[in-house]
Amino acid sequence: MNLFRSEEHIDRWLGGRDPGATITVAKLSELAHAWWSDRLAADWQPHAREQNQTILDELGLTDNFWRLP
Amino acid sequence: MDVGLLEVRNVTYRMFVELGRAPSAAEVAGAADRTSAEIEAVWRELHRAHALVLNSATNEIRMANPFSAVPTAYRVQAAGRWWYGNCAWDALGICAALRADGRIETSCPDCGEAIAFDVRAERPDDERLVFHCLVPAAHWWDDIVFT
Repeated sequence: MNLFRSEEHIDRWLGGRDPGATITVAKLSELAHAWWSDRLAADWQPHAREQNQTILDELGLTDNFWRLP
Repeated sequence: MDVGLLEVRNVTYRMFVELGRAPSAAEVAGAADRTSAEIEAVWRELHRAHALVLNSATNEIRMANPFSAVPTAYRVQAAGRWWYGNCAWDALGICAALRADGRIETSCPDCGEAIAFDVRAERPDDERLVFHCLVPAAHWWDDIVFT
């Protein structure tokens, strides 16, 4: 799960391997804030699988790559 | 999750933030009025529940996601300290968890050039950057350190 300077850099880094998923750093920040912002809350509870899938879905990350087990 | 597990989990996270590093089992035991052996047993249950990640060789904390207990390629300055994120997602997650603006420093895995940007009000200030995730979500926890 890495940051790159551009999609060209990802392609070169993959070197022919199958790509995973690419999103903008702005989208990643939205995802990180939705996913982690409660982590230090005194009333924290583990996220259910459905809760995390909803976070992904609501950000438009809906293809099979982003389906949680 | 069991109340006893949650209590130890919350003390562990609180101490990680207070200390700026992973607490030892003895440190958490002192704060939670338990023994070190009890804390290590709870940590193993939390590890199985994916609520934190232990170093399998030492039973010490390896990840209290999004925080890393060991140096990584993702350094984060937020809330008056430098932290390590387990990955790019977690680096931004540290700003989210601390509810703070921050600065993230890493390097491009392809060319090695330094990457540094600020996060203000949840927005990165360099929107040219892109994030790549190699492992599909269904397999993230198969090997979380690799993921």
